[in-house]
Amino acid sequence: MSRFEYHEPESLRDAIALAARFGTEASFLAGGTDLIVQLERGRIAPRHVIGLRRVPGLTGIEVNGRVTLGARVTPRAIERAPELAGAFRCLIEGAEVIGGHQVRNVATVGGNLVNASPAADLVPGLLALAGAVTLVGPAGEREVSIEHFLLGPNRTARRPDELLTRVSLPALPTRAATAFLKAGRRRAMEIAVVGVAARLTLDASLERCLEARIALGAVAPTAVRAHQAERALEGQPVGPEAFRRAAEMAQDACRPIDDVRASAAFRRHLVGVLVRRALDRCVTRARSAA
Amino acid sequence: MAKIALTLEINRERHEVLVEPDRTLLDVLRTDLGLTGTKTNCLDAECGVCTVLVDGEAVNACLYLAVVAQGRAITTIEGLAPAGALHPLQQAFVELGAVQCGYCIPGMILSAKAYLDEHPRPSEAQVREALAGNLCRCTGYQKIVDAVLAAAERLAAPVGAS
Repeated sequence: MSRFEYHEPESLRDAIALAARFGTEASFLAGGTDLIVQLERGRIAPRHVIGLRRVPGLTGIEVNGRVTLGARVTPRAIERAPELAGAFRCLIEGAEVIGGHQVRNVATVGGNLVNASPAADLVPGLLALAGAVTLVGPAGEREVSIEHFLLGPNRTARRPDELLTRVSLPALPTRAATAFLKAGRRRAMEIAVVGVAARLTLDASLERCLEARIALGAVAPTAVRAHQAERALEGQPVGPEAFRRAAEMAQDACRPIDDVRASAAFRRHLVGVLVRRALDRCVTRARSAA
Repeated sequence: MAKIALTLEINRERHEVLVEPDRTLLDVLRTDLGLTGTKTNCLDAECGVCTVLVDGEAVNACLYLAVVAQGRAITTIEGLAPAGALHPLQQAFVELGAVQCGYCIPGMILSAKAYLDEHPRPSEAQVREALAGNLCRCTGYQKIVDAVLAAAERLAAPVGAS
C-alpha cells in the first residue's frame, strides 16, 4: 500500500487549496532529492504529497536588473544561465557544487531553501544577494527576507499551507561583484564543511569598499550573515589588511560544531581563509568588469 | 491510497503499469518491468548506479517517483543501442578494459552519454567532473575516463572517417 496519496494540481490556487486542506499531513514535491531521501529514511511520513510539476510559473529565471528565480529552477538551469555569469556569479558557483549532475538536473532552488540545511550550497549566495522569498497561502502572498525565512535546521518561516513560489534578488549597483567558495573534504559530491559567499561594491576609484555582504554556510544552525565584518569593510580601502580584519570578525560571528566532517576549530579557521579569498575574488571581478 | 495507472515511455516503447504513487522509478523499472540493467545500491543519490536519462538528462532513479516520469522519455542502459549492437560508449568500455565488477557501468555510461550529447569534445578534467556522481569501487576510474574520451573522439569524428 502506498504510504501517501499523490496529487498533481494544475494551478497555484489548487496547490494551495490542497495544502490548506491537508495541513501538516501534506508535503510539496519539487525535485524530491531531499524529500524522497527523508521519506525513505522514515524521517517524514506525509499522508499526501502534492507534486508541483504541473503548476505553471515556477521554472523561470527572469533577469531585469533584479533577478527572480522560480521555486522549481534547477541548479542545472542556474549553471547554464548566461545572464547570471556576471555580477550574480555566486549563484552559479553555488549551483555547480551541489551533488552530481544527476542531482543538479532535478533539485530546485525552492527545495534547497525549504529544506533549510545549514550547509545548503545555494543559500549563502542568496543571503549575500539580499534575497527574499515569496510565500503564497490561502490568505494571499507575503515576502520574507531569506534571513528571516531560515529559522534552524529544517525549520523555516513557511506555514504548512504556504508554497514558496519564487526568490527575488534586488538589482546590484555598478562595480559590485560576488563570489561563493565551498570547502569540503573532496571536490565533488560533498556536503559543505564551510561555504562562504561575499558581495562587494567598490567606489569609483576601485580602491575603496562602498558596501559589503558576507554570508557563511555550515557554521551555524542556519546560513548566517557576518554583519560586523560587513560594517567594518564599508568605506575602507580594499586589501589584505581590511580583509584580514573582516575575516576575524566573520570567525567571531559563526558558531560551528564538531562533527564527522570537521572540527569546530577547523571550520572557524576555514571561515577566515574563505572570507579573505572570497573578498579578493570580488575585488578582481569588480575591477575587471569596470 | 490506491494504485494509479501510469503510461511510461521507456527506450521508445510505451509501458502501462499499475503502481503505488510512492514507488520510485528505479523500483518500477526493476520490479515491474524487469529492466534490471539499472542498478540498486545507496538509494541516496550518492553512488549513481541507478542513473537513467529523463528527456536526455541524467537523474538518480532512486529518488525519482515513477509518477513524475509520466510524459517523459526515459532511457535505460537496455535502450542505448539496438538489440545485439553496442553504443560507441559501450564498445569503448569493452575495448579499453574499463569494466571490472560491472555494477557501476550502466550508470557510468548513461552519465557519460548525457554529458557527451551536450559537450562532444570534453577534456579529461571535464569527463571526471561529468562522472562525479557515479562511484566505482574497482577500477580507480582511469580506464573509465579513457573509454569516455575514446568514445567522444569516435562519436565526434565525421561519418566515414577512420
